[in-house]
Amino acid sequence: MTGSTWLARVEAAYVGAAVEEEFGLLSVDVPPDRWTDAVTVARESLGCTFFDWLSAVDELEEGFRVVCHLAARRTGAVEHLVVRTRIPRDHPVVASVAGVFGGARWHERETHEMFGIEFTEDGAVLPLEGLLLPEEFEGHPLRKDFVLASRVARPWPGAKEPGESDERPRAARARRRALPPGVPDPGQWPGSTTQDEP
Amino acid sequence: MTGAEWLPPRSRGVIALIEENCTSCMLCARECPAWCIHIDSRQETLPSATGRGRDTTRNVLERFAIDYSLCMYCSICVEVCPFDALHWSPEYAYAEGDIRELTHEKDRLREWMWTVPPPPTLDEHAEPAKEIAAAEKAARRSRR
Repeated sequence: MTGSTWLARVEAAYVGAAVEEEFGLLSVDVPPDRWTDAVTVARESLGCTFFDWLSAVDELEEGFRVVCHLAARRTGAVEHLVVRTRIPRDHPVVASVAGVFGGARWHERETHEMFGIEFTEDGAVLPLEGLLLPEEFEGHPLRKDFVLASRVARPWPGAKEPGESDERPRAARARRRALPPGVPDPGQWPGSTTQDEP
Repeated sequence: MTGAEWLPPRSRGVIALIEENCTSCMLCARECPAWCIHIDSRQETLPSATGRGRDTTRNVLERFAIDYSLCMYCSICVEVCPFDALHWSPEYAYAEGDIRELTHEKDRLREWMWTVPPPPTLDEHAEPAKEIAAAEKAARRSRR
Protein backbone atom coordinates (compact mmCIF):
# COMPACT_ATOMS: atom_id res chain seq x y z
CA MET A 1 0.00 0.00 0.00
CA THR A 2 2.99 2.32 0.03
CA GLY A 3 2.87 5.06 -2.54
CA SER A 4 -0.84 5.89 -2.22
CA THR A 5 -1.75 8.85 -0.03
CA TRP A 6 -3.44 8.52 3.35
CA LEU A 7 -6.56 10.20 1.93
CA ALA A 8 -6.74 7.68 -0.93
CA ARG A 9 -6.30 4.79 1.47
CA VAL A 10 -9.00 6.08 3.82
CA GLU A 11 -11.40 6.66 0.91
CA ALA A 12 -10.74 3.14 -0.39
CA ALA A 13 -11.39 1.65 3.04
CA TYR A 14 -14.70 3.52 3.52
CA VAL A 15 -16.48 3.30 0.19
CA GLY A 16 -19.75 5.22 0.31
CA ALA A 17 -18.94 7.10 3.52
CA ALA A 18 -18.18 10.82 3.60
CA VAL A 19 -14.46 11.47 4.10
CA GLU A 20 -13.61 15.06 4.96
CA GLU A 21 -10.34 16.85 5.48
CA GLU A 22 -10.54 19.64 8.05
CA PHE A 23 -7.49 21.47 9.38
CA GLY A 24 -5.23 18.74 8.01
CA LEU A 25 -7.13 16.00 9.82
CA LEU A 26 -9.13 13.32 8.02
CA SER A 27 -12.53 12.41 9.39
CA VAL A 28 -15.02 9.84 8.18
CA ASP A 29 -18.75 9.96 8.98
CA VAL A 30 -20.48 6.61 9.27
CA PRO A 31 -24.07 5.66 10.13
CA PRO A 32 -24.50 4.51 13.77
CA ASP A 33 -25.26 0.89 12.82
CA ARG A 34 -21.81 0.66 11.18
CA TRP A 35 -19.94 2.23 14.13
CA THR A 36 -18.12 -0.87 15.38
CA ASP A 37 -17.42 -2.01 11.80
CA ALA A 38 -15.94 1.37 10.95
CA VAL A 39 -13.55 1.29 13.92
CA THR A 40 -12.62 -2.33 13.09
CA VAL A 41 -11.86 -1.38 9.47
CA ALA A 42 -9.57 1.41 10.70
CA ARG A 43 -7.60 -1.05 12.80
CA GLU A 44 -7.53 -3.99 10.36
CA SER A 45 -7.25 -2.32 6.93
CA LEU A 46 -5.65 1.04 7.72
CA GLY A 47 -3.25 -0.04 10.44
CA CYS A 48 -4.73 2.37 13.02
CA THR A 49 -3.42 0.40 15.96
CA PHE A 50 -3.30 3.38 18.30
CA PHE A 51 -6.58 4.31 20.00
CA ASP A 52 -6.26 7.89 21.22
CA TRP A 53 -9.66 8.86 22.61
CA LEU A 54 -13.41 8.57 22.25
CA SER A 55 -15.92 11.23 23.24
CA ALA A 56 -19.05 13.00 22.05
CA VAL A 57 -20.32 16.45 21.04
CA ASP A 58 -23.77 17.74 21.96
CA GLU A 59 -25.16 19.12 18.70
CA LEU A 60 -28.55 20.04 20.22
CA GLU A 61 -31.50 19.12 17.97
CA GLU A 62 -29.18 17.30 15.58
CA GLY A 63 -28.36 14.80 18.32
CA PHE A 64 -25.01 13.67 19.65
CA ARG A 65 -21.94 13.11 17.57
CA VAL A 66 -19.78 10.29 18.87
CA VAL A 67 -16.17 10.85 17.90
CA CYS A 68 -13.17 8.55 18.06
CA HIS A 69 -9.58 9.50 17.25
CA LEU A 70 -7.25 6.78 15.95
CA ALA A 71 -3.70 6.87 14.65
CA ALA A 72 -1.53 4.69 12.45
CA ARG A 73 2.20 4.63 13.00
CA ARG A 74 4.56 4.27 10.10
CA THR A 75 8.29 4.91 9.87
CA GLY A 76 8.95 8.57 10.56
CA ALA A 77 5.33 9.68 10.66
CA VAL A 78 1.92 9.21 12.24
CA GLU A 79 -1.34 9.21 10.26
CA HIS A 80 -4.47 10.37 12.03
CA LEU A 81 -8.08 9.42 11.50
CA VAL A 82 -11.25 10.64 13.21
CA VAL A 83 -14.26 8.33 12.95
CA ARG A 84 -17.62 9.96 13.69
CA THR A 85 -21.25 9.00 13.88
CA ARG A 86 -24.39 10.86 14.86
CA ILE A 87 -27.09 9.44 17.12
CA PRO A 88 -30.51 10.94 17.92
CA ARG A 89 -30.99 12.92 21.12
CA ASP A 90 -34.11 11.05 22.25
CA HIS A 91 -32.44 7.65 21.79
CA PRO A 92 -28.70 8.12 22.50
CA VAL A 93 -27.48 4.56 22.04
CA VAL A 94 -24.46 3.34 20.09
CA ALA A 95 -22.53 0.08 19.92
CA SER A 96 -19.43 -0.27 22.08
CA VAL A 97 -15.99 -0.45 20.46
CA ALA A 98 -14.34 -1.94 23.54
CA GLY A 99 -14.23 -5.26 21.66
CA VAL A 100 -11.93 -3.62 19.09
CA PHE A 101 -9.85 -1.51 21.46
CA GLY A 102 -10.05 -2.63 25.09
CA GLY A 103 -8.94 0.79 26.31
CA ALA A 104 -12.05 2.37 24.80
CA ARG A 105 -14.07 1.17 27.80
CA TRP A 106 -12.65 4.00 29.95
CA HIS A 107 -13.67 6.56 27.36
CA GLU A 108 -17.12 5.03 26.97
CA ARG A 109 -17.64 5.20 30.72
CA GLU A 110 -16.70 8.86 30.69
CA THR A 111 -18.91 9.57 27.66
CA HIS A 112 -21.78 7.71 29.32
CA GLU A 113 -21.38 9.79 32.46
CA MET A 114 -20.88 13.17 30.80
CA PHE A 115 -23.45 12.88 27.97
CA GLY A 116 -25.82 10.12 29.10
CA ILE A 117 -25.04 8.05 26.01
CA GLU A 118 -25.64 4.29 26.33
CA PHE A 119 -23.21 1.78 24.84
CA THR A 120 -24.34 -1.66 23.78
CA GLU A 121 -22.62 -4.98 23.28
CA ASP A 122 -24.45 -7.60 21.20
CA GLY A 123 -27.56 -5.45 21.42
CA ALA A 124 -27.59 -5.31 25.23
CA VAL A 125 -27.04 -1.98 27.02
CA LEU A 126 -23.87 -2.13 29.12
CA PRO A 127 -24.22 -1.25 32.82
CA LEU A 128 -21.41 1.33 32.79
CA GLU A 129 -20.12 2.64 36.09
CA GLY A 130 -19.34 6.31 36.66
CA LEU A 131 -15.77 7.45 36.35
CA LEU A 132 -15.17 11.00 37.54
CA LEU A 133 -18.34 12.38 39.12
CA PRO A 134 -19.42 11.76 42.70
CA GLU A 135 -22.02 9.02 43.12
CA GLU A 136 -24.84 11.33 44.13
CA PHE A 137 -24.31 13.62 41.11
CA GLU A 138 -27.39 14.06 38.97
CA GLY A 139 -27.43 14.92 35.29
CA HIS A 140 -24.93 14.88 32.45
CA PRO A 141 -22.71 17.95 32.75
CA LEU A 142 -21.41 18.07 29.16
CA ARG A 143 -24.90 18.26 27.70
CA LYS A 144 -25.61 21.79 26.57
CA ASP A 145 -28.90 21.96 28.50
CA PHE A 146 -27.13 21.19 31.79
CA VAL A 147 -27.06 24.19 34.13
CA LEU A 148 -23.84 24.56 36.10
CA ALA A 149 -24.32 25.10 39.84
CA SER A 150 -21.90 28.05 39.75
CA ARG A 151 -24.18 29.77 37.22
CA VAL A 152 -27.16 29.47 39.57
CA ALA A 153 -25.48 30.31 42.87
CA ARG A 154 -24.30 33.76 41.80
CA PRO A 155 -25.91 36.48 39.68
CA TRP A 156 -24.39 37.32 36.32
CA PRO A 157 -22.11 40.37 36.67
CA GLY A 158 -23.05 41.50 33.15
CA ALA A 159 -26.73 41.96 34.03
CA LYS A 160 -26.09 45.51 35.21
CA GLU A 161 -26.53 48.35 32.76
CA PRO A 162 -23.88 51.08 32.42
CA GLY A 163 -24.43 53.53 35.25
CA GLU A 164 -25.82 50.86 37.55
CA SER A 165 -24.29 49.40 40.71
CA ASP A 166 -25.15 46.68 43.21
CA GLU A 167 -26.17 49.24 45.83
CA ARG A 168 -28.31 51.33 43.51
CA PRO A 169 -30.06 49.19 40.95
CA ARG A 170 -31.84 51.36 38.43
CA ALA A 171 -35.57 51.22 38.94
CA ALA A 172 -36.84 51.90 35.47
CA ARG A 173 -35.44 49.70 32.74
CA ALA A 174 -35.33 51.29 29.35
CA ARG A 175 -34.36 48.05 27.64
CA ARG A 176 -34.89 44.35 28.14
CA ARG A 177 -32.41 42.87 30.57
CA ALA A 178 -29.36 41.38 28.86
CA LEU A 179 -28.97 37.63 29.29
CA PRO A 180 -25.71 35.74 29.82
CA PRO A 181 -24.59 34.03 26.60
CA GLY A 182 -24.37 30.25 26.61
CA VAL A 183 -26.47 29.76 29.75
CA PRO A 184 -29.87 28.07 29.33
CA ASP A 185 -32.82 30.42 29.85
CA PRO A 186 -33.74 30.58 33.59
CA GLY A 187 -37.38 29.79 32.81
CA GLN A 188 -36.29 26.42 31.45
CA TRP A 189 -33.99 25.39 34.29
CA PRO A 190 -35.06 22.11 35.79
CA GLY A 191 -36.82 22.63 39.12
CA SER A 192 -36.92 26.38 38.61
CA THR A 193 -39.80 28.32 40.11
CA THR A 194 -38.86 31.74 38.78
CA GLN A 195 -40.18 32.62 35.38
CA ASP A 196 -38.91 35.36 33.09
CA GLU A 197 -39.07 38.79 34.59
CA PRO A 198 -41.82 40.87 33.00
CA MET B 1 9.70 43.40 39.25
CA THR B 2 9.25 39.65 39.61
CA GLY B 3 11.48 38.31 36.88
CA ALA B 4 8.83 38.60 34.19
CA GLU B 5 11.16 40.61 31.96
CA TRP B 6 12.43 37.53 30.13
CA LEU B 7 8.92 36.56 29.02
CA PRO B 8 7.66 37.26 25.49
CA PRO B 9 6.02 40.72 25.26
CA ARG B 10 2.52 39.39 24.65
CA SER B 11 2.52 37.00 27.63
CA ARG B 12 -0.78 36.88 29.51
CA GLY B 13 0.26 37.35 33.11
CA VAL B 14 -2.26 39.75 34.57
CA ILE B 15 -4.79 42.25 33.18
CA ALA B 16 -4.14 45.93 33.85
CA LEU B 17 -6.76 48.68 33.76
CA ILE B 18 -6.51 52.31 32.65
CA GLU B 19 -9.42 53.65 34.60
CA GLU B 20 -9.61 56.88 32.58
CA ASN B 21 -10.29 54.95 29.39
CA CYS B 22 -13.13 52.91 30.88
CA THR B 23 -16.63 54.15 30.07
CA SER B 24 -18.27 51.38 32.17
CA CYS B 25 -20.00 50.15 29.03
CA MET B 26 -20.18 46.61 30.54
CA LEU B 27 -18.99 44.91 27.34
CA CYS B 28 -16.10 43.07 29.06
CA ALA B 29 -18.29 41.93 31.97
CA ARG B 30 -20.89 40.61 29.54
CA GLU B 31 -18.44 38.83 27.26
CA CYS B 32 -16.41 37.25 30.07
CA PRO B 33 -17.09 33.49 29.90
CA ALA B 34 -15.84 33.00 33.46
CA TRP B 35 -18.07 35.75 34.94
CA CYS B 36 -15.05 37.20 36.73
CA ILE B 37 -15.36 40.94 35.95
CA HIS B 38 -17.43 43.06 38.33
CA ILE B 39 -18.29 46.64 37.44
CA ASP B 40 -20.28 49.20 39.41
CA SER B 41 -20.90 52.66 38.03
CA ARG B 42 -23.18 55.61 38.64
CA GLN B 43 -24.75 58.20 36.39
CA GLU B 44 -23.72 61.76 36.83
CA THR B 45 -25.55 64.71 35.32
CA LEU B 46 -23.49 67.59 33.99
CA PRO B 47 -25.15 70.92 33.32
CA SER B 48 -24.78 71.96 29.71
CA ALA B 49 -21.67 73.99 28.99
CA THR B 50 -23.47 76.89 27.41
CA GLY B 51 -26.19 77.06 30.01
CA ARG B 52 -28.85 76.88 27.31
CA GLY B 53 -28.59 73.32 25.97
CA ARG B 54 -29.74 70.12 27.57
CA ASP B 55 -27.92 68.59 30.56
CA THR B 56 -25.68 65.67 29.68
CA THR B 57 -25.28 62.46 31.65
CA ARG B 58 -22.17 60.35 31.87
CA ASN B 59 -21.27 57.11 33.63
CA VAL B 60 -18.68 57.25 36.39
CA LEU B 61 -16.83 54.08 37.31
CA GLU B 62 -17.15 53.16 40.98
CA ARG B 63 -15.83 49.64 41.10
CA PHE B 64 -13.87 47.54 38.61
CA ALA B 65 -12.66 44.19 39.90
CA ILE B 66 -11.28 41.08 38.25
CA ASP B 67 -11.48 37.82 40.19
CA TYR B 68 -8.31 35.97 39.21
CA SER B 69 -9.50 32.83 40.98
CA LEU B 70 -12.04 32.52 38.14
CA CYS B 71 -10.26 34.21 35.21
CA MET B 72 -9.18 31.76 32.53
CA TYR B 73 -6.85 34.18 30.73
CA CYS B 74 -8.79 33.96 27.46
CA SER B 75 -8.19 37.66 26.64
CA ILE B 76 -11.72 38.25 25.38
CA CYS B 77 -12.16 41.28 27.67
CA VAL B 78 -8.92 42.85 26.40
CA GLU B 79 -10.00 42.32 22.81
CA VAL B 80 -13.61 43.46 23.24
CA CYS B 81 -12.78 46.73 25.03
CA PRO B 82 -13.56 49.51 22.53
CA PHE B 83 -11.53 52.11 24.43
CA ASP B 84 -8.29 50.20 25.18
CA ALA B 85 -8.83 50.30 28.92
CA LEU B 86 -7.55 46.74 29.47
CA HIS B 87 -4.03 45.56 28.71
CA TRP B 88 -1.99 42.43 29.31
CA SER B 89 1.00 42.57 31.59
CA PRO B 90 3.47 39.67 31.72
CA GLU B 91 3.58 39.78 35.55
CA TYR B 92 2.45 36.43 36.86
CA ALA B 93 3.59 36.29 40.48
CA TYR B 94 0.52 37.27 42.50
CA ALA B 95 -0.34 34.08 44.33
CA GLU B 96 -2.22 34.57 47.61
CA GLY B 97 -2.83 32.59 50.77
CA ASP B 98 -6.48 33.64 50.81
CA ILE B 99 -8.63 33.17 47.71
CA ARG B 100 -10.47 36.45 48.38
CA GLU B 101 -7.23 38.35 47.84
CA LEU B 102 -7.25 37.17 44.22
CA THR B 103 -10.00 39.67 43.44
CA HIS B 104 -8.02 42.70 42.31
CA GLU B 105 -9.89 45.96 42.69
CA LYS B 106 -9.32 48.93 40.38
CA ASP B 107 -6.41 50.45 42.33
CA ARG B 108 -4.48 47.21 42.09
CA LEU B 109 -5.43 46.74 38.44
CA ARG B 110 -4.15 50.26 37.76
CA GLU B 111 -0.82 49.42 39.47
CA TRP B 112 -0.32 46.58 36.99
CA MET B 113 -0.46 49.16 34.19
CA TRP B 114 3.11 50.25 34.99
CA THR B 115 4.31 46.74 34.10
CA VAL B 116 2.62 46.64 30.67
CA PRO B 117 5.36 46.53 28.02
CA PRO B 118 5.24 48.88 25.02
CA PRO B 119 3.71 47.25 21.95
CA PRO B 120 6.28 45.35 19.86
CA THR B 121 7.75 47.31 16.97
CA LEU B 122 6.17 46.79 13.58
CA ASP B 123 7.73 44.52 10.99
CA GLU B 124 9.65 46.16 8.16
CA HIS B 125 7.26 47.55 5.46
CA ALA B 126 4.26 46.90 7.70
CA GLU B 127 1.28 49.21 7.45
CA PRO B 128 1.56 51.97 10.08
CA ALA B 129 -0.95 52.07 12.91
CA LYS B 130 -4.31 53.60 11.97
CA GLU B 131 -3.99 56.21 14.71
CA ILE B 132 -0.69 57.47 13.28
CA ALA B 133 -2.08 57.59 9.74
CA ALA B 134 -5.11 59.55 10.98
CA ALA B 135 -2.93 62.01 12.92
CA GLU B 136 -0.65 62.58 9.95
CA LYS B 137 -3.61 63.17 7.67
CA ALA B 138 -5.02 65.72 10.13
CA ALA B 139 -1.65 67.45 10.36
CA ARG B 140 -1.40 67.72 6.56
CA ARG B 141 -4.88 69.17 6.39
CA SER B 142 -4.15 71.86 8.99
CA ARG B 143 -0.93 72.87 7.17
CA ARG B 144 -2.80 73.56 3.97
